[in-house]
Amino acid sequence: MATSFKQIEEKLKTEAAKLLESGSVSLVLAYGKGYDEKHPMPYVAKCASDVANIVFNEFCTYNMARYLVRYPRGTKIAVAVKAADSRAVIQLIQEEKVKREDLVILGIPVSGMKNPKTGETIDSKTTCGLYNPVLYDVLLGEEVHGQPVVSPYDVLAGYEAMDKDARWAFWQKEFDRCIRCYACRKACPMCYCDPCFIDQTKPKWGDKSPEPAGNLMYHLTRFHHLAGRCIDCGECSRACPVDIPLYLFHKKVAKECEEMFGQAAGMSIEDKPALVNFRVDDSDKILE
Amino acid sequence: MSFEPKILGIACNWCTYTGADLAGTTRLQYPQNLRVVRVMCSSRINPSFIFRAFQLGADGVLVGGCHPGDCHYNTGNLYARRRLAVTKKILEFSGLEPGRFRVEWISASEGNKFAEVVTEFTEQIKNLGPQTKFKIEQ
Amino acid sequence: MLKKTAINKISGLAATLLEAGTLLAPVKEAAGFNFREISDPNQVDLNFHNTILSPKSAFFPHMEDFVHYQTGKSVLEATPVELNLKPTFLFGVRPCDVKSFEIMDIHFSGTGAVDPYWQKRREAATIFGYAFDPDVPARVEEFYQTLGIGAADPEGSDIFMIKKDGDLLLKGITPKGEKLLAGLNGLDKASADEEKYFEDVIVGGRNVKTRFTCVDDKSIAKKFEDLFHVSDFWQKASAACLSCGVCTFVCPTCYCFDICDETLFSKGTRRRVWDACMFTDFTLEASGHNPRTQVFQRLRQKINHKYSYHVRKYGVISCVGCGRCTQHCPVNIDIFSIVDEAIKA
Repeated sequence: MATSFKQIEEKLKTEAAKLLESGSVSLVLAYGKGYDEKHPMPYVAKCASDVANIVFNEFCTYNMARYLVRYPRGTKIAVAVKAADSRAVIQLIQEEKVKREDLVILGIPVSGMKNPKTGETIDSKTTCGLYNPVLYDVLLGEEVHGQPVVSPYDVLAGYEAMDKDARWAFWQKEFDRCIRCYACRKACPMCYCDPCFIDQTKPKWGDKSPEPAGNLMYHLTRFHHLAGRCIDCGECSRACPVDIPLYLFHKKVAKECEEMFGQAAGMSIEDKPALVNFRVDDSDKILE
Repeated sequence: MSFEPKILGIACNWCTYTGADLAGTTRLQYPQNLRVVRVMCSSRINPSFIFRAFQLGADGVLVGGCHPGDCHYNTGNLYARRRLAVTKKILEFSGLEPGRFRVEWISASEGNKFAEVVTEFTEQIKNLGPQTKFKIEQ
Repeated sequence: MLKKTAINKISGLAATLLEAGTLLAPVKEAAGFNFREISDPNQVDLNFHNTILSPKSAFFPHMEDFVHYQTGKSVLEATPVELNLKPTFLFGVRPCDVKSFEIMDIHFSGTGAVDPYWQKRREAATIFGYAFDPDVPARVEEFYQTLGIGAADPEGSDIFMIKKDGDLLLKGITPKGEKLLAGLNGLDKASADEEKYFEDVIVGGRNVKTRFTCVDDKSIAKKFEDLFHVSDFWQKASAACLSCGVCTFVCPTCYCFDICDETLFSKGTRRRVWDACMFTDFTLEASGHNPRTQVFQRLRQKINHKYSYHVRKYGVISCVGCGRCTQHCPVNIDIFSIVDEAIKA
């Protein structure tokens, strides 16, 4: 029996209050009230009195790991994470953007989250589909049992079956809508570069204007930069105001990386990110 | 007029570029479609170079590096192998013909192999025809 | 004179307009509705509440080419891009968005420095305003009423349209609109009942309740002026902000742009592209110094610009309450909640 959203909210509040009162963390990254119930917001509790504003319901989809790199190194932070979000935390630890000892990870075992924009239930189609956090200090509720056997990569079948021209046409159609608001990179917990390659002018990698060539350059390079690092939380696609299914491409790259390098992103803090690592016995077959 | 493809070659200084030199000094014949850029190591290649080359009108991109284990910097090409494998998958999933991008390990002594690879790759690109998907039309 | 046409025959009206010039109207796309140039009259779809992107792109396109040039050649050989505009019909603009054009006019022509591109486009355009459907309640994100804009205000439109059951009632508001409407074939004359309905909806539109009670421009501006240095307030307001550009790109009154030279080999284009004050590199100076490095500074700039600086300088709030920024924000930051907090602070 899964823990209800209300119970999780209560536990989240209790833990946050305990941590802030004891002074073991200086801030808690969790969820707070938005302009209505269906639209909660990421929330930073900085003192015990802030804790009352914390909420948790099925619309709290945001990946709080996104905000970890915003605070100076060494800040003691408690962060509320769902399954995919915990993988983002692990990946950030692997990349040495945050230190494990600076974090208190409040794991939320949950299923049936809903997209606040569309109301659709979020499942393995747009995310990694896990229910339980991979890494946590405190688990706020009982582990969800009965993990479904579907693979998060099942959704790719249709796109993989397309021939190259159909795929090209598909992505051209999707990228054509891009307005270059960069919500995808800003919502992404792994996109922390400053400056982002697309903002660079020397060299200039792609045009700033939202025309097909620049859009293609931006998205393909971003997919490449996230190869072996994307933890499949699906935030980029939910952030997109024009609904570009970025998760499909990320999933495809993640799937290939997993097959080639035998390692999924953000599953263990002992791992090294796949692309800053190598094995002498990597096969040349991966290049074929 | 028959189609003469433009192929970008990115060659590592220590092996493939030297191998190309050897091919030249031993007077081996190979197609002139390849324009070679020398980099210090195959791991210096930013994947955006490859995307950009296709956008700027390359019909094919050939990357050459040292054989794994022979890297001048010990491990550069081992990183490059993983990275370029991902590049290839991304190009493929985006819809570009997979045959337009190729990575080969060619050592400084393999002038023959260099000539063979270039000949074969040029032939392959000729069969694929002009690359129009990524190319920016002016 | 009030005219009418059946909404399911809207393609007939669209076809007539298309013959007379360029037609920009809402089109259903994968993610929702947007104003697009119409090529086939059947594309026009009025079953929308509001579009994702605001209609500002009709006068201020996302990218606009100014000059084509060749590198290494004299400036004299560069060719300016001429605007050869046909009469343009901007069809189905909601009253709050119509109001936004008036605010944008301040910047593009009202202060003496005239932007010829904006002005030419404005002059070529006939605006078909379209009242919010009286039977559909306002979205929770919308607050145009708070800013004194009714759900069916015809001011600013050349022709104003109101939906009545399956019919669309059209009335000329400006002489330009009246003249155009009189010359349009295929429209029926509306009855006296419909005339009354038209007026009733306009009046009723002023009483539509959106989220908040009315606010006073001057006191808000003052409030924000006082709050400027209270960084705690802004830190809190921006704690969730990702600093992406969604809110500014969908906003009907955001007008910041960047001029960039897009060069490929020897050929280049000098182009104006939308920019956003929420981007890190927006204020980046050539020296490398950036006066606004923090997210809270950027959000503060955005909100102060709309609700404080703009009021002090031009006397109006630079916001029309369309609610797009709130609706599309990836983390649900609500601009009016921040204003509300400020009033209470």
